Amino acid sequence: MPRPKAARTGSRAWLRSLSLVPQVVLVYSLLALLVIFMIGPYLFIFGTAFKETYTLVSIPPRLIPENPTLENFRDIFSTMPFARWFLNSAVVAALSTLGTLLVCSMAGYTFAKKDFYGKRVLFMVLMATLMIPSALMLVPAFLVTNQLGLVNTYGGLILPGIGGAMGVFLLRQFIETLPSELEQAALIDGASELQVFTRVILPLAKPGLATLAILSFTGSWNSLIWPLIIVNSKGLYTLPLGLALLRTEFQVNYGATSAAAVVSVVPLVVAFSFLQRYFIEGLTVGALKG
Amino acid sequence: MNSSTAEGEGTAGTRPRLRSGSAKRRITTTVRRNLVAYAFLSPFFILFIIFTAIPFFWALWLSLQDGLLTGPKTFVGLRNFAQLPRDTITRTVLLNTVKYVAVIVPVAVTSALGLAFLITNRVVRGRDFFRALVYFPILAAPAAAAQIWSYILAPRFGIFSYILSALGIGDVLFLANPQLALLSIALIEWWRGIGFHVILFIASLVGVPKELKEAATIDGATSWQVATKITIPLMRPVILFSVVMGTIWAFQLFDTVFVLTQGGPMHSTATMVWYIYNHAFRYSQLGLAAAMGVVLLLIIAPISYVQMRVLGREVEYA
Repeated sequence: MPRPKAARTGSRAWLRSLSLVPQVVLVYSLLALLVIFMIGPYLFIFGTAFKETYTLVSIPPRLIPENPTLENFRDIFSTMPFARWFLNSAVVAALSTLGTLLVCSMAGYTFAKKDFYGKRVLFMVLMATLMIPSALMLVPAFLVTNQLGLVNTYGGLILPGIGGAMGVFLLRQFIETLPSELEQAALIDGASELQVFTRVILPLAKPGLATLAILSFTGSWNSLIWPLIIVNSKGLYTLPLGLALLRTEFQVNYGATSAAAVVSVVPLVVAFSFLQRYFIEGLTVGALKG
Repeated sequence: MNSSTAEGEGTAGTRPRLRSGSAKRRITTTVRRNLVAYAFLSPFFILFIIFTAIPFFWALWLSLQDGLLTGPKTFVGLRNFAQLPRDTITRTVLLNTVKYVAVIVPVAVTSALGLAFLITNRVVRGRDFFRALVYFPILAAPAAAAQIWSYILAPRFGIFSYILSALGIGDVLFLANPQLALLSIALIEWWRGIGFHVILFIASLVGVPKELKEAATIDGATSWQVATKITIPLMRPVILFSVVMGTIWAFQLFDTVFVLTQGGPMHSTATMVWYIYNHAFRYSQLGLAAAMGVVLLLIIAPISYVQMRVLGREVEYA
């Protein structure tokens, strides 16, 4: 009994979908263009990273290398301290992210769940700093770091990157939505304030922390201008700084710059494929950071 | 500073819990509540004071001074601001920045709107795939994106030059031609930034109630009319948010310029932040750099303020 009916609606649906063919063709051709434009540069650079030097300037340009080689990767790791830069970037991004998570979660929790004198004023001051362009602070932040004796040190790279009003705002928003009964129950059971924070709040705030962690890590990993002004010895370069100065300081070719760009992007692409949801959430909140 | 927090917590935790009762006890509870709050806030606010609050006021103070980056400085009042408009580079820099904003923002927002409609079209399967796709360029550091595109835009053997030569247009010097350099930078930044707008718009498009669109279609509206009369007006807060964010970022263009053109050729890609960086850290014109920073603040702050007041509520909490 249900069979002929299904077949009938099936054929009708089929006829209707036939009328959609022109639209489908148009939409998917446009999407194909989009795919080429978004991914194309990556594929091109990926191919280039494995090209032999003498084929770099071939006309017409090739997407896929004829004889793939690791020569370019060997080059960047042997002719310049590229491994060191990679490590520097990883350490700086990891430590400023950990620091940011710590201080922002403590402050965000307090703004979300505690009452204290000056709460409104402090929060308004924080929000106001979101309106300040970071370029305004470039020179004085350098001077402060210089006063602290942190120019050309890991401390100078890491410390100014810890915190940020955005992180407090994000976590406050998140922690506000958590039920207060749990903390009160823990307090009545004799837990200290610090225990409530570390055992009750932090585990519940994990999704918010993950979003902030990604925001903070990618921000630090990709940042150029701060390392550029704060560091001058090559041993302290981060990846973006190394990338930026590859051609001016190291006279390398497109094969090497491509290999370097690939190495700098791959970790984030891998992380993105596992944690897409948090990346996309971070996009909209991170947008508030002027 | 972390240890001091832990210490404060430890002593607070060992104190006997207070029950409501006498006024004295209530005062102690209030004091304790505040102390706990400030202890939790202190790590953040210590860093905030050192690396945000002090630099902010120092930036304003510096704009009234002249001198070397780390040497002695003299108070010059508003002289830096008076000198700014007399400098020919200043005018170029302001003009370039405004030109760049005027190109990138409308182009990025309208193209993103088109792409969002395309991706959410009913015949499309795998919306998540395309959403991830437009996110990919965002992952590239500006410095990496610049290196990627420098090869694509390279004269003669770059892929763009090759295609244009094949079309008979001939070799194009994208980054070495003063007429094209800023547009080429805009193209790279478009590639890197478009995903942000598209993802926002997709989220907003999916949220437009189906019933409204269906009702309009039944009343005989074409899909173009549905889009322009119903969907886009409903997306207005998100579109405005997009425009504001795009504008704020565009005014602070630096990384791509620094890697690819160093402001050249003939200052055609010199931007406001490029000016600040160079005057402070290369030309030892600290006062002018600081003054330009204040000009940037005067542009960005009102835009951000409008965004936070008018749009903040509608978008952030959505």
